[in-house]
Parts: sequence; C-alpha cells; structure tokens
Amino acid sequence: MNALRTAILRGARATPRPGGTMRGTRPGDGFVFSQLRAYVEGDDPRRIDHAATARVGALQTRVYLEETALVLAAIVDESGSMRVGRKRALTDAADEAVRAWFGALEGEDQAARIVDARVVRDRRAAPLVHANEPFRFGSALAIAVRALPRGASLLAVVDGYDLPEDEMLARAALRFDATVLLARDPWRDDLPLRGFVRLRDAESGRVRRVFVGARTRARYRDAAQARERDLHDRFRRAGWRVGALDERDGRGSLLRAFGLPA
Amino acid sequence: MSLAHPLWLVVGVALAAAFLWAAHAASRRGRASALAYSDLAFFERATKLRVDPALLITLACAAGIVALGAALAGPRFVANLPVRGGAVVMCIDTSGSMRSTDVAPSRSEAASAAARAFVDAVPDGTRIGIVAFASGAGVVQPLTDDKDAVRDAIGRIPPPNGGTAIGDALVAAARQLPPSGRRAIVLVTDGVNNLGVDPLTAAQQIGLNGIEIDTVGIGTSDSGQLVPGTAEEATIDEDALRRIAESAHGAYARANDAGSLRGRLAALANSTTREKKRVDATVPLALAGGCVLAFALAGGMLAGRFP
Repeated sequence: MNALRTAILRGARATPRPGGTMRGTRPGDGFVFSQLRAYVEGDDPRRIDHAATARVGALQTRVYLEETALVLAAIVDESGSMRVGRKRALTDAADEAVRAWFGALEGEDQAARIVDARVVRDRRAAPLVHANEPFRFGSALAIAVRALPRGASLLAVVDGYDLPEDEMLARAALRFDATVLLARDPWRDDLPLRGFVRLRDAESGRVRRVFVGARTRARYRDAAQARERDLHDRFRRAGWRVGALDERDGRGSLLRAFGLPA
Repeated sequence: MSLAHPLWLVVGVALAAAFLWAAHAASRRGRASALAYSDLAFFERATKLRVDPALLITLACAAGIVALGAALAGPRFVANLPVRGGAVVMCIDTSGSMRSTDVAPSRSEAASAAARAFVDAVPDGTRIGIVAFASGAGVVQPLTDDKDAVRDAIGRIPPPNGGTAIGDALVAAARQLPPSGRRAIVLVTDGVNNLGVDPLTAAQQIGLNGIEIDTVGIGTSDSGQLVPGTAEEATIDEDALRRIAESAHGAYARANDAGSLRGRLAALANSTTREKKRVDATVPLALAGGCVLAFALAGGMLAGRFP
C-alpha cells in the first residue's frame, strides 16, 4: 500500500460518521480479509495480528475489504486564472496532483471526479477529463455533497478567487475527509516585473498597463502573502486539510498536504 | 485670443491625433504579449493602482505636441498684467465728519483698515503714496515701493478733525505722481467738500494729464446720525464723488460698511495697478510644450518600454 493511500485512509477514518462515531471504531466493520499491513495510527488494536507481528517484528494489522475501500473524489479548478505561472501553468501542477491522488486508488476503491455538472466515476478517465464550462467551486461542492457517499475523501485544487460561503465549506468538511490544495501565487514572493508592463486578466482577458516600481512590488508581496494566509486560515477553520499547490511540483504539493515527504 | 498662423495649430492637433493613434496601435500589438495574471482586480487592489501612468505619459506627449503646434500658430491674447513702474496715491479723508460711526467702528478707522488691505493687494513694484486731508492736504507718505513704510504711514494718519478740502487733496496727490506711466489717485472720503479748490475742476485738470481718479464713498445717507461733537447730520455726497471719478476716467464705488470698503479698495488695488496688455504666448508655450514632451518621453524610456 502506498504512503499516500495510507495517509488518506487515516484521514478518512477520522471523518465523523452519522451519530458521531468514527469509521474505524464501528464494530463489525469488515468481514472479508484483504491483507496484512503495517500498523498505522488510528487502527483498531483489536485488529492487530499478533502472530504476524511476532513473525515480522513490528505491529501488523488485519485489513478487511469493507474497511479499506476508499472513495477518492476530486474537484479541480481549470479556469483561466489557473493557467498562469512563472515556468509552467498552475493547471499542469494541478494535473500532477490529481494523477497522484487517483494513483492512490487500489482494490475496491472508487473514483469520482466532478467536472462541469457531472461526476466521472471511471477510474481511468477520472484523472484525465477536463472541464468545458466555467469553473464554480460552490457548484462543484454542491454536486459532491449530493453525489458522493459520506466519508469519501475529497481533494479540491483551487486558486481561491471564487470561493463559496464558509458554511458550505464547513458542511463539505463534515461530510468528507476534505483536502484543499490552494494554488500558490507564482509571484507571491516577488513580482518579476519592472517598469511599464501589460497584465492580462487570465479570466476576462482585460489588459491593463501598469508601472511596477519598488513600492508596488513590496505592496504586492505583502498583499499576496496575506491573501494566502487568509485563505489557508479560512479552510482550516472550516475543517479542511490545507496544502499549497506549488507550480513546480503538483505531486509533492499533495504529499506535503498529508504530511508526507515529497 | 487670436492666432497669427492658425494652420500650425491644426498641424499640431493632427500630429497629436496621429501620435495617439500610433500609441493605441502599439498598445493593441502589445496585448498579445501581455503577461497573464490570475486576477487583475486583486493586483489592482494589492498595489493600490489608481491611475495608469503609461496613459498619463501618452497623454502628456500628446499635450506637448499640441502645445508645440499651438506655439507655432503664434497665439496672442489680452491679459490684465501688473504695470511696471505704476504709481498710485491714496487720498484719505480725515475731516471731522469721518468721526461718524455709521460705518463701524468709525469712518476714519474703517478707512485706515481698508487702506492697509489696499496696500496688501497692490502688486510688488508699484509705488504707493498717502495723502491725508481735512481743512488742508498733507503728504503722509511720498511715493514708495516699500509696502512696510506705507503701512507705517497709515498709522500716522492724523485723527479726524476740521473741514473737507477734496480739491486740495487731489492737487497734492497729482503733484506726487510722476509725469508719465500708469498713474492713479484713489480718493476715500465721505464726499462733502467745504474748503479749498473746487474738486471737480481739479479732477478735470488731473484727468487731462492722463491720471485716473477712483473714488470710494464711505458712509450712509439719511441715517439720521449726527457727526459726533456737532449738530451736523452724517451724510455723503455721492453725486460729487461720481462726477469727480467720471471726469478723470475713473469709477465711483460706495461702501456702507467696513467690509465692503476693504473689498472696494482691494479691487481698486488691482484695477489701478494693472493694465490690459496684448501678450504673445509663442515662446512660453513652445518651451512648456517642449519640456512636457521631453519629460514624458524621458520618463517613459527610463521606466520601461514606451509606448
């Protein structure tokens, strides 16, 4: 089992279920033995296989199919505002993250990618489909809440320029093990611009000529970093696991969000 | 305003229009190479951008070209300019009737305060003299361009007492004035002449010498107030003052209170020390246009690509 899946599974176990119980503590879960694996934090101690532990020398847990099957869902912002970057577009990094996300699928796991107004459940197609309509995070979340089972693991890759109400974010975090990768402004630390430059709004196409001096760069750096902090705080308060999508490494960004080494 | 060569103005405007069109075309070409940014509204908020400096420079260049074209067209206009070497003498009435309090605090004190306002408003370089008159006329301050000296002289004006010799005051003032140049006498009085030379005759003679006399009548008529210490009613002879002014190319104005008196004299400070002159704006306009154009282009090039 790969480390990402293990981490996702741990998160899914911590997702509240109806009645306030946790997935991993529900008695009677799982009847069909699947495999033995290394013990991970949160495993039910009653599932520790002592014979296997004695053989291997480390704690081993018995895994049952029903218990480990995951529903991995993804919502990805593919709007114009994500098609920017210093060396490559943020959408490329987002694609990497999504491929890594769905790459964690195993066995009986299910995939679900919300694209436009539909849910693509095909495991092979899910990482590859792309949107044809303008992206609305709120609408995509509403579809996820309606279409996905409680306890599913949801990954959202967005830039945060079009966010739904906090209540909607909190509702999604209560229902799912929700993770968001917030696209990091490629110029968060420094604008690569000097003098008169033309900027084109990636969404609307509006062009504006601006003069970028030292003061402008300083103001922008402060504002961009403050915006990133605010966005992260907002998602954390709503109960999401938060990571930053770095345009250079989408897969690494996802792993770091789960506390794994990139 | 008139133009010696209107065609050049048309050429300037046409060149400016061509420049703006070229700048617009360059802007359209630059659109394709514009840097894509996620959310321009956020950028504008973050950097607190209010004006487009590039647009300002483009407009400054266009304005510079128009100014150069206008300069070539030879613009000339009539302006009210300070007279170099102008001279004005204030004749301030100190007769007993100026003790009247129908103008607060009294006619004489209001006249002194207004005289100071007059001095403040006169352009630097204009010479000012003060003549005080009652039963006779005396020069309190000969013509000088030292405004502080004139202000001090106003403080030395004797207290109101005696008759009113307006004609003598006009003659004394005219003697102070130089034989040529812009010259004016400002007469501040309540206007009831009762001594000395006939003021109208004196004014006509002075007017013939090219000296302007402006009169300011201070006080109220039919107020029923008496001149303090006398049984005479405080009044004002407006007709006489109007005739004096008219006979010497000047104007008459009435001041019922201290505020309006100050305003009248401040206005006279402008009208008696300035004159309308025809000005050729070619050189200043060319210099201004050239400077604007040079600074705009240099600024654009220093700051980055242009246009």
